[in-house]
Amino acid sequence: MMYLLKENFDKAREALAGAYAVVVPDEVLPPKDALFPRSETLYETDRRTGEARAAGAGGKTLLFGVRPCDARAIGNLDAAFLESGYVDANYAQRRENATIVALACAQIPSPACFCDSMGGSPHEAPEADVVLTEAADGSGYALDFQSEKGSAVAEIWKAADLIGPMPAHLEKAPAPTCTLKVNKVPDLAQKLTAAFEDGLWERLAEACLGCGCCTYVCPTCYCFDIGLENRGGTADTFRCWDSCMFPGYTQMAGGHNPRWSKTQRLRNRYLHKLAYFDERYGRTLCVGCGRCICRCPQGLDITRAVEWGERL
Amino acid sequence: MNNFSQQQQKIRSAASRLLADGTVRFVIGWAPTRFAERTTVLFAHTEAEAQALVWNAHCTAALGKYLLDHRLADYAVGIVARGCESRMINRLLTDHQIWRERVYILGAPCPGMDAERCAGCRERAPVVWDELLWDADGMPETGGRQDAAPTNLDEATIADVGAGLALPAVGAACSRPLDTDTSLRSRFFRAEAVEGLSAAEKFSYWDEVYAKCIRCYACRQACPVCSCRACYVDMDRQGFQGKQHSAADNRVFGVTRAFHVADRCVECGECERVCPMGLPILGQTQKLIKEIEALTGEAYVQGMDAEEENFLGAFDLDDKDDFL
Repeated sequence: MMYLLKENFDKAREALAGAYAVVVPDEVLPPKDALFPRSETLYETDRRTGEARAAGAGGKTLLFGVRPCDARAIGNLDAAFLESGYVDANYAQRRENATIVALACAQIPSPACFCDSMGGSPHEAPEADVVLTEAADGSGYALDFQSEKGSAVAEIWKAADLIGPMPAHLEKAPAPTCTLKVNKVPDLAQKLTAAFEDGLWERLAEACLGCGCCTYVCPTCYCFDIGLENRGGTADTFRCWDSCMFPGYTQMAGGHNPRWSKTQRLRNRYLHKLAYFDERYGRTLCVGCGRCICRCPQGLDITRAVEWGERL
Repeated sequence: MNNFSQQQQKIRSAASRLLADGTVRFVIGWAPTRFAERTTVLFAHTEAEAQALVWNAHCTAALGKYLLDHRLADYAVGIVARGCESRMINRLLTDHQIWRERVYILGAPCPGMDAERCAGCRERAPVVWDELLWDADGMPETGGRQDAAPTNLDEATIADVGAGLALPAVGAACSRPLDTDTSLRSRFFRAEAVEGLSAAEKFSYWDEVYAKCIRCYACRQACPVCSCRACYVDMDRQGFQGKQHSAADNRVFGVTRAFHVADRCVECGECERVCPMGLPILGQTQKLIKEIEALTGEAYVQGMDAEEENFLGAFDLDDKDDFL
């Protein structure tokens, strides 16, 4: 096991800046932005010749300090963008170019964290290339290099003389546990889908404002829209985040909207997080990061839908 | 010193009575969440649910906008209304969005809540009500927003009466940290913070702000003035504005939003409170009101009654139009 002293933490990040564009995740937004940007140009079309040119998806990036829940969320995005039968070219290129350095949670970052109720752990990030776990005495980090991309990071740190073998008397600190405990029943997906017509959905949605905040701060929301922008010489085809919480999301060309009410939209979002994805990919989409709970201006809480499963 | 617990009891009793005698279908108020320093909005449909309503410094969300969800209702809706909610209601009435007889207003004079939006508030007592739950007398004339008083966590276990779920409380808040200054600020405090900047500085200030905007439209959704059934930003194929995110596009949205609400803004500050990115957008609407006051030389305070005319919306044949 290799070891990084705490005092070398910043240097370790800086040492990677030569080989990668280093992205340190924002405290509000999840790191999905680096793989699935808020807005990206897919291709540019010359308005005179009609010739189209793919815009490309950038070079090597490194996400530094990703939380384990967010690393797990990236695994879920992989399922949707890479493993569903269609490979999304831009996501695939960004994902291939991205190295994920996860930082295991030494303390639980937020009272709304509930990753360990959703099958995750504040200390485990199998999707990451490198995991930094604080040592029990707080002097530094135990390093797990979990992939070839991770080994490349190890080489850079070794070359810069920043890491060494972990002293024998040290061990990883025990994983903290989330304060928010949510009882997720094993057959939650089936139970919630069976309750599709239940009146409780309407009660859950009453306080919803109908903004898209929860979907945009969610590390696993991956819906997008595609549009065109006239840039004078070129017409740019862009892709941008979209939100199932907006009525326009399901608006049909003829005017019909199958999810015309706030309740229908909230139910769809919760069921996607807790049931539909599970049915399709065999894992729950919601990773329990708690961002939607913290950021919802009206205090809505997805764990209410999770715990509802106990009563169904 | 506040009287939250006595006043909370008044809210609960009044809501229970209205539900029991069938005056309203439900009463909109606040309920605790799992988090000690946060509340959520509760639509109390039964007398039992009315007992879950709370009144404390964490009742930061304004409730007026929910009336729009029920604008076509053939039933009456009860609502707890402070100064801000009452002005929102007047706004919706002026804009012919709701029927006065279908809203039963429980007036709740407010000491100022634990939200930055309350920092410059001058209208803490409701300006319209059916029943005033307690006297506004004796309330602090000034004092800014309330400092956070802890919620009684025992109450949080009954937070979800509405959904039939009991939630254990988990403790501290997960909200964005607020400005530590809780004193009463100037009415236009956000605008004044930017006014002193040079044009170039202002440009880069707003550029920085709008680079962070994620276009979740929480500001629009929370705003009582945004009552259009179809918002121009949702017509992304009609050429007003696309859905792409960039500082420039986000700024177009931000500026358009501010100008659309310019002369009708009731200064509730919800647009800023709900912003997940913490953007100081209240300064824009404050500045517009300030400009109106500078231009007319008169006080311009919206939402004080349901009959008022809007500065930009009013039409007069004698209008000099000398700016054209």
